[in-house]
Amino acid sequence: MSAEPTFEAAERELESIVERLERGQTGLEEAIALWERGETLYRFCLARLDAAQGRVEELAARMHEEAPGG
Amino acid sequence: MLRGVKVEAIDYGDRKVFSVASFNRGVASWLTRLPTVWVEGEVTELRRQTAWQSVFFTLKDPASGACLGVTMARTRFDALRLDLGDGERVHVFGRAELYEARGDLKLRALSIERFGLGDHLAALERLRKQLAAEGLFADARKRPLPRLPRRIGLLTGNDAAAKQDVIATITARYPPARLLVAETYVQGPRAAGGMIEALRRLAGAPELDVIVIARGGGSFQDLLPFSSEALIRAIVACPVPVVTAVGHEGDTPLCDLAADARASTPTAAARLVVPDLGELLARLDRARGALEGGARRTLERERRRLDTVHERLGRAPMLDLERRRGRLEGSAGRLRALSPRSTLARGYAIVRGEQGAILRSAAGLLPGARVEVELAEGAFGADVRETRP
Repeated sequence: MSAEPTFEAAERELESIVERLERGQTGLEEAIALWERGETLYRFCLARLDAAQGRVEELAARMHEEAPGG
Repeated sequence: MLRGVKVEAIDYGDRKVFSVASFNRGVASWLTRLPTVWVEGEVTELRRQTAWQSVFFTLKDPASGACLGVTMARTRFDALRLDLGDGERVHVFGRAELYEARGDLKLRALSIERFGLGDHLAALERLRKQLAAEGLFADARKRPLPRLPRRIGLLTGNDAAAKQDVIATITARYPPARLLVAETYVQGPRAAGGMIEALRRLAGAPELDVIVIARGGGSFQDLLPFSSEALIRAIVACPVPVVTAVGHEGDTPLCDLAADARASTPTAAARLVVPDLGELLARLDRARGALEGGARRTLERERRRLDTVHERLGRAPMLDLERRRGRLEGSAGRLRALSPRSTLARGYAIVRGEQGAILRSAAGLLPGARVEVELAEGAFGADVRETRP
């Protein structure tokens, strides 16, 4: 992934890859290449989600520290 | 008794000159010719002492402020048992009289009647209709109250319970509130003027965003200044919104109609002008919590979607291979079905020559030649006996 896609774009591409694979109308070589591409997209999306989760936790922690009522 | 008084002038050459006393006596005498009439006004500056022969008060025109001194014999006044207070509207029956020692014009009262409640109500109703016709009470004129006033003006009587109620409620609900209190008369003849002046002073204070006019319950007479036309016009002209809390539920002084908001009690007025800080903070906190919950839910949803699609991605290549394998096996089956072996099974045989080539014709075969015969089950070698075309 040279130019970093958005999470949504990566997820959309992943879904379209899965659909193509599930329809089974690709060549064998192409199917394997698509699978590899899909795995790459999955890891990218997962990393994005983990980063977002980290930021949510950080904000929540800061918020609970600040809040007078706890 | 002054009738027929002879007023002597002193002659200075051809000029007739009167002494002050004789001038006054002359005017006083002339005034006795005026008829006895009813005069309506508000009682102010009532002075009555047991040692005095007369009771004194000033009758004031509530509309123009014009004044007229009134005297009445104390015994006559006491006999009326009116228990008059300042600011009360009365009808005085009497005639003009000059207080000769001072040259003051007085109304010598023979009788006083309190201006009846019915008269007051009729007068108020006339005023209400007139002001309503001018549009002073129109809803379109009402301004919204500020949500968080920087500074709150409080117009009230000094030491009034209403004042304490407003201050206590405002500070309990919204401790950072800043209050500017203007104390003035809230009943009696000086109330309307005092309140108008206080309103003007408050409205001019910097950062002042709203004004509360608060007064506790009182008699109909006590609350009359809150229906004065001048006060109503001052409220309408006030540059910041005005909230009134005057009297008890059921009292409807006209100022309530002109105010931007009216409250049934001073406490209710306080609730109108400031939010409850605790409630506000709790709401803010809930919003913040919802924000966090929303972020977490979005993350969860995205994670589940990603998991699902990843699971499908993991299964898809295997499914694809299975399908390919299935297709392959199908083809193999069809291939096998087309092979010569099934033909042999039906009783045919394959005959090959010495070179192993399949023989399709007897031509060229010589008796004694060696051939191989292949059957569905097994094979055997044979010698050719004879050939036929």
